[in-house]
Amino acid sequence: VEFQWSDDQREFRAGLRRLLAARAPVSRARELAENGTRHDPALWRDLAQQVGTHGIAVPEAYGGSDGSWVELAIVGEEMGRVLLGGPFLSTVVLAGEALLASGDPAACEEHLTRIVAGELTAALAVAEAAAGWDAAALQTTAAGSRLTGTKEVVLDGAEADLLIVAAQGEDGPSLYLVDGAADGVVRTPLEVLDPTRQVARVELRDAPATLLGAAGSAAAVLEHVLRVASIFVAAEQAGGSAVCVEMTADYARTRRQFGRVIGAFQGVKHRLADAAVRTELCRSTAYWAAWQVPGSDESYLGAAVARAHNNDAYVQTAKDAIQLHGGIGFTWEHDAHLFLRRARADASLLGSSRDHRARLLPLVAGTGTVPATPRPAGVLA
Amino acid sequence: MIALTDSTPPTQLAAAVHAFVEEHLPAAWLAAARADDWVTVTRLREDPDGSSEWWERLGAAGLATPTWPVEYGGLGVSADTAQVVKEALATYDAGRGDVDFISIALAGPTILAHGTPEQKERHLKAIALGKERWCQLFSEPGAGSDLAGLSTRAERQPDGGWLVNGQKVWSSYAHLADFGILMARSDPSLPKHRGITYFLCDMRAPGVEPRPLRQMNGDAEFNEVFLTDVLLPDSARVGEVGAGWAIGIATLMNERSGLSGRPGVGPGRADALLRRAQETGAWESPVVQDDLLALVVRERANQMMTVRAFAESGDAAPTAEGSVRKLANSTLLEDLATYGPEVEPYGGTAWSGELPQVTYDFLDMKKLSIAGGTSEIQRNIIGERLLGLPKDPDPEKDLPFEDRTRS
Repeated sequence: VEFQWSDDQREFRAGLRRLLAARAPVSRARELAENGTRHDPALWRDLAQQVGTHGIAVPEAYGGSDGSWVELAIVGEEMGRVLLGGPFLSTVVLAGEALLASGDPAACEEHLTRIVAGELTAALAVAEAAAGWDAAALQTTAAGSRLTGTKEVVLDGAEADLLIVAAQGEDGPSLYLVDGAADGVVRTPLEVLDPTRQVARVELRDAPATLLGAAGSAAAVLEHVLRVASIFVAAEQAGGSAVCVEMTADYARTRRQFGRVIGAFQGVKHRLADAAVRTELCRSTAYWAAWQVPGSDESYLGAAVARAHNNDAYVQTAKDAIQLHGGIGFTWEHDAHLFLRRARADASLLGSSRDHRARLLPLVAGTGTVPATPRPAGVLA
Repeated sequence: MIALTDSTPPTQLAAAVHAFVEEHLPAAWLAAARADDWVTVTRLREDPDGSSEWWERLGAAGLATPTWPVEYGGLGVSADTAQVVKEALATYDAGRGDVDFISIALAGPTILAHGTPEQKERHLKAIALGKERWCQLFSEPGAGSDLAGLSTRAERQPDGGWLVNGQKVWSSYAHLADFGILMARSDPSLPKHRGITYFLCDMRAPGVEPRPLRQMNGDAEFNEVFLTDVLLPDSARVGEVGAGWAIGIATLMNERSGLSGRPGVGPGRADALLRRAQETGAWESPVVQDDLLALVVRERANQMMTVRAFAESGDAAPTAEGSVRKLANSTLLEDLATYGPEVEPYGGTAWSGELPQVTYDFLDMKKLSIAGGTSEIQRNIIGERLLGLPKDPDPEKDLPFEDRTRS
């Protein structure tokens, strides 16, 4: 039932929060961003092997713990609280879910099990200059088992071991596995607004590839991935927004001006109260979406509402945090801008607010249809 | 009373309520509801000759107040179960309406939590059966947001009773009420929060005079209530002498929680506006589409938060968290009503025949951002109780009430 946390879920969250507070506080995200690595391999391994974050929503057959999107949302929220960078979203959520939804047991056996174990990183390459996630509009082509085209803003595309690439094949848009180190793969890291996450342009020049799942199945698989990743990102946005409120409330309780702590002034108090309300809404949308049955209209609705709401809400809360910190909030040293950068980057990741509002049209205005996902019941089974 | 428990599956619960309604609802009402003739339903609801028997049957079955204990006219079930009942009744618009909100959501729970056994016996069943209607006598011309500044006096009489003098305002439906929940100052020598006592005031007692106030939307739901030498017995007192503030706050938390809408995620006011825009043709504009979708998103988000609040709080008493939902929902409803005229021909500013709904809603929109504690007061509550910010300064908080500056 929605919003009824089990004891296991509560313990999982508490354990993860403790670990991340000790090993990956925001100061660590800043340090990894400044030295350009963004990624802490020791933490990555421990998250995979000790906490089990990488297999939290993966069937036991592939080494996972067979949890649901609710557990995945918990991971997203907790990672969002500390601005954890590195390849979790790209590898576990985007690539992992694409593998699962592809219905390709051999590929899952070979790659998903290694993702779950923390031994493989992967990236999902879909967007192009002239196409977002609309598989039909993709320009990258597959000729036999060789791909040609240019993928933009590929999350962790420069460093991932494995690429999953969407391209036009003979039977329509399909997904392909490409070794990141293969000949014909040219990867160019881009400069990024959010320094905790790496984004690259990936050029495929007659690069060798293997078909993933059935030919022509990319649209349905990507729709599945978009929904689950939207829920993960929405939860991440809720976590980040919550920390913005918490750190600003801490500051407003201690910073003194005019002989009082500034939190006593209604101009400060009311802006912070609005941010708190907005954050509760962020949590509520992300959790509600996570609790719906994957593949259902409710799940589709939840993911769209969560992103349409949380994209703008997190940016606003991050802005409020800077405003209420005053000058100190505008400095490089203060963490507030790291949250604003993440908030803005998240708001463009896998669809803008406007894109997600438009996704509601089939359900609320009776125009268009809800896109299909593959074997909704089988994905998690 | 019908047999409903928390272990009854929701579909069976709903089916039992539907069966009950179809057997007992007046035939004309049932027929009008089935024909989607809500104008007739509203007329029948508001006609006491036609509806009082139904309210009595509904109450006798425990369906008007399902969460209350069985001995006081309820079914003793959880809020979740009560919600299923409420939704089933809503299909026929056969549940108790806004006019009974104060009786059922505020007076009843306060009496249940703080009343004497005699008060519970005297009032709760009568509320459940629709035989008693209640109003709220809290706000005063000089005590709105600063409710603890109220100055209506309750003076102890030699026989132990109380003599009440003062003026209340914004009392919804006071002109129709049998009783009022009343906060009055019993000891002006104490600081303002400490000298208040809570009473159940008989609205028929000599000296009680409600005068309807015409509101900006044309309705006259609110009243001023003049209390002149009203004698109340000590048995009308709720809680200890001087304990009225805490009891009043509990009542207000019920109000904020109750004003925040019912749980469920689905088509709501924004969707209705979207339909209307499709009817009027305003929907053809992609700009209007995006505006309306943004309102749909906000309404669904608020619904998800309400579902979450109900799930996480269970049957616990309302807390400051109700302020979060009250603020979010009153702001959204205000924004929806502000946008409404955009989809209407001539912006709903000129019409023939009946007042358009969007125009009524436009004129009604500020109500919820003011009633039950203004949005500014809700922000104070959220800032102070949920975020731990210091309380707004009140230099007269600790002064004896009688020594404070008068406005």
